[in-house]
Amino acid sequence: MQKKTLTALLSTAALAAVTVALAQSAKLSDNVVRVGVLTDLSGVYSELSGQGSVKAAQMAAADFMAQNPSFKGKVQVIGVDHQNKADVASNKAAEMIDRQNVDMLVDLPTSSAALAASEIAKQKKIPALVVTGGTTALTNEKCNKYTFHYAYDNYMLANGTGTAVTKRGGNSWYIIYPNYAFGQDLNKQMVAAITENGGKIVAPSDATPFPNTDFSSYLLKAQGLKPKVFGTMQAGADLVNVVKQYNEFGLRQQGIGLGIGLLFETDVAALGQDAYAGALATVPWYWNMDQRARDWAAKFEKAFGKKPTWAQAGTYSATMTYLQAVARAKTDNGDAVVKALEGHRFSDFFARNASIRPQDHRVLLDVYTVQVKPKAQAKENGDYFNRVATIPAARAFQPLSESKCKM
Amino acid sequence: MNTQLLLIQVFNGLVNGAFYALLSLGLAVIFGMLRIVNFMHGALYMLGAFTAFALGQAFGLGFWPSLILAPIIVALLGMVLERTLLSRLYGLDPSYNLLLTFGLTLLTQDLVKQVMLSQYAVSSAPYTPPAALAGVVNLGFVVFPKYRLFVIALSLVLCLLTWFVIEKTRVGAIIRASTENPGVTRAFGIDVGKWVTGVFGVGVGLAGLAGVLAAPIYSVEPYMGSELIITTFAVVVIGGLGSILGSVVTGFAVGVLAAVGAAIYPPIANTLVFILMALVLLVRPSGLFGLPEGTR
Amino acid sequence: MTVLPRTAARTERQRMTRAAWLIGLGLVLLILPRLIYPVLALDILAWGLFAVAFDLLFGFSGLLSFGHAAFWGTSAYVTAFLLSHGQGVPVAMLGGTGAALLLAVPIGFLSVRSIGIYFSMITLAFAQMISFVALQWTDVTGGENGLQGFARPGFLGLDFSDSTTRYYFCLAVFAVGFYVAYRTVRSPFGQALQAVRDNEQRAQSIGYNPTRFKFTAFLISATLAGLAGSMFTFGHGVVSLDVLNWRTSGEVVMMTLLGGTGTLFGPVIGAGLVLLLRDVLTTANLPVGIVTGLVFVLVVLFFRRGVVGTVQHWLRRR
Repeated sequence: MQKKTLTALLSTAALAAVTVALAQSAKLSDNVVRVGVLTDLSGVYSELSGQGSVKAAQMAAADFMAQNPSFKGKVQVIGVDHQNKADVASNKAAEMIDRQNVDMLVDLPTSSAALAASEIAKQKKIPALVVTGGTTALTNEKCNKYTFHYAYDNYMLANGTGTAVTKRGGNSWYIIYPNYAFGQDLNKQMVAAITENGGKIVAPSDATPFPNTDFSSYLLKAQGLKPKVFGTMQAGADLVNVVKQYNEFGLRQQGIGLGIGLLFETDVAALGQDAYAGALATVPWYWNMDQRARDWAAKFEKAFGKKPTWAQAGTYSATMTYLQAVARAKTDNGDAVVKALEGHRFSDFFARNASIRPQDHRVLLDVYTVQVKPKAQAKENGDYFNRVATIPAARAFQPLSESKCKM
Repeated sequence: MNTQLLLIQVFNGLVNGAFYALLSLGLAVIFGMLRIVNFMHGALYMLGAFTAFALGQAFGLGFWPSLILAPIIVALLGMVLERTLLSRLYGLDPSYNLLLTFGLTLLTQDLVKQVMLSQYAVSSAPYTPPAALAGVVNLGFVVFPKYRLFVIALSLVLCLLTWFVIEKTRVGAIIRASTENPGVTRAFGIDVGKWVTGVFGVGVGLAGLAGVLAAPIYSVEPYMGSELIITTFAVVVIGGLGSILGSVVTGFAVGVLAAVGAAIYPPIANTLVFILMALVLLVRPSGLFGLPEGTR
Repeated sequence: MTVLPRTAARTERQRMTRAAWLIGLGLVLLILPRLIYPVLALDILAWGLFAVAFDLLFGFSGLLSFGHAAFWGTSAYVTAFLLSHGQGVPVAMLGGTGAALLLAVPIGFLSVRSIGIYFSMITLAFAQMISFVALQWTDVTGGENGLQGFARPGFLGLDFSDSTTRYYFCLAVFAVGFYVAYRTVRSPFGQALQAVRDNEQRAQSIGYNPTRFKFTAFLISATLAGLAGSMFTFGHGVVSLDVLNWRTSGEVVMMTLLGGTGTLFGPVIGAGLVLLLRDVLTTANLPVGIVTGLVFVLVVLFFRRGVVGTVQHWLRRR
């Protein structure tokens, strides 16, 4: 009797599984889910995303297949170089969708390329998960039904660092920012976060030319103002110049700390971590933040030969989140996957306590304010950060009430 | 703006001006002799900085030996390029050499990037000022890094030296003669071709030297020369193409003006040099120190 | 007596060759969107016209502009701005082209008085200035985010959301632009221009004013570059700061050289080759700068006649 029931139950379950599997395979376009990693394989972002992001997406595809044996389709990853040009990004995004039947776009470094690809995603009705592009426009005036913003954005960077540093006693600031949209935006958010938390801006923030190599006049001004924190909203090569000259002018020895708007692991590597020692910044992830992150990082390093950056880890996580949504929706149809993504709650090695806000498609996750350790304290190569604060997902990003998104 | 801030900006401007002067001086020397505009000058400046870094990595050489060796290496490389590639285009429209060096710039930047990536996983290189010049010195009105004062001084000395060699020595006389009339110079039994290569070497060596000087204070990355070279072009046009004195004076002057201008009205910083150029051209089409076009 | 017919025969043969190029190029352009992705084909039209505009100045006037991105880019931005402010496609494209012409007046006035390499550096510096302005003027240009998502309202019953329709519309615009360039070169003005290019002093001595000729050529070239820039914006639906970058000015030079300077047809072929190469590089996993730099160097050293020039040279020798 009991045995019969068990057999019946088992066969029903098997039948159900087969039906689900059949249904799945029937609804996948041509039986293959194609992940399009549109990234910078040759320019300035190639070091922090590039081939590493393609590899991360491939790992996500392989892991997904291993974890979902009932999934009958195949997953294919296609990596394309947008050469940091918005027109190439737009053209290749459309071509990948039309000609190679790509079902989603992921990574998308640099704002202009991310916005261009997001526009194509909207036209072609397929999801785009922006990881390495940072502009808040993606979840504000330029938001659309098919675009999701995954890892970080300007608001999260400024809010995280401004709040955490001010609360830790770094309550008087002098800020410089590069005079273009990214820098202006970052500065505005940073000033707001500092003043809200009772900090003081000792002199109006200065806009620096962009691109710029020599920041001496601002560093000399900081010397005179003696704020507790010198905030730099520069990015990439400009940031490296600021930090190099911050050391040259000896600001650290004069008790002036360094607060950084956007810091990638590659920026630290460019000068060595001693040049950054003590500097504070906010990141969505770093490879040795805990055991779970380290486990994944070890797998990545084995496959790729380098420690993962947060952009690469984010690309893995975004790809996996997308594939799981495909599995839940049982189709790779864009509209259905978007519906499966909206409101989804999850937690993986990268995105902790994460949820996808349906109203503006901001992916909310815990983020971390970190301090760069001196080389002497590093236990191994690439051990850059000490965590000083965890900003919970609910408070890390722009509140919905401030969003300009109309979908 | 108060006097103190003005003085500070003048000093900052002199540092930037030192780099403009060294680079435009090299361009001027090359243009004077070869009648070509070396677009690759910025890439060679970058190579100077990376060579200093590589010498440190490979042989443990510090800043001082690199300051001598790296420019020599860059100069030798330049001479090889001149002999093997540039010389093929002599006698053609000088535009072709501008285009050749443009292509070489793209090539060099990405080659350096790929080599760095394969060795160090990042394309930028760390470099710090030499111990003897680390730290700051109190000038009364401002506390200024010692190294930057050294940059201004060395650049001034080198510019004066180059000017002296070209205007006052026999070698300079030969160079000037082969610039102005290669045919007659050759008739005096002087091998103009040999001098061309040497002068090219000196010109790019100056760019390499500027690169080594920049390494301790500016980010050492493969594209560090790409924006700088265009500003330098504007400096050269303002000064007058091929004018040694013009390039040096304009180099320092533009550095100072841009720094002071940026303090008064920040958004103008990057465009000021081009506005200056347009104004100068309106009044003097061949630049401040250039000879009228017909006479060249 | 025997000389005349031979000259006539040669002229006849030249005309035949030219007609053959024209027909061949026309046929390829007609079927291009069937051969490659239509947006890429559209890119070839836009860059092709840009290179033709550049060739008008470099090949036929001897002026190497290293700042032609200024006109292409300004028009691209103005077109995008007008489209995003509710203007129709023809108004936006004409507006962009007009803006390029307006910009060319002061830049041309200041630069054509200089010769040779001087001219190159001055145009480069001006283009750089425009590029800095575009970066800072965020309200109009969108700064480093660029502009995207603007409408391309239909026109004469054409639906511009379809890239093939956009292509054939642009092909018509391209034909007009190319015709203007072709007529300019073949006109007495074009002949005089080439005389000025070949020997400025002699041209002056027979009564031409070289500066005025060069200035006019500069304006025509900049206007056509502007028309090409507006096609670029219209074709992609995005515009970013790349359009004003000095590398863009360099790329158009490379296209012209590769196709054949002073041939007018050549630059279109050169544009096609460069863009196809760039397209291959998006998936080839080769460093873009090394490949394009190498191509540039090799073309300048060994292939200065370009594709069309080489073929013509070869035909003439037979």
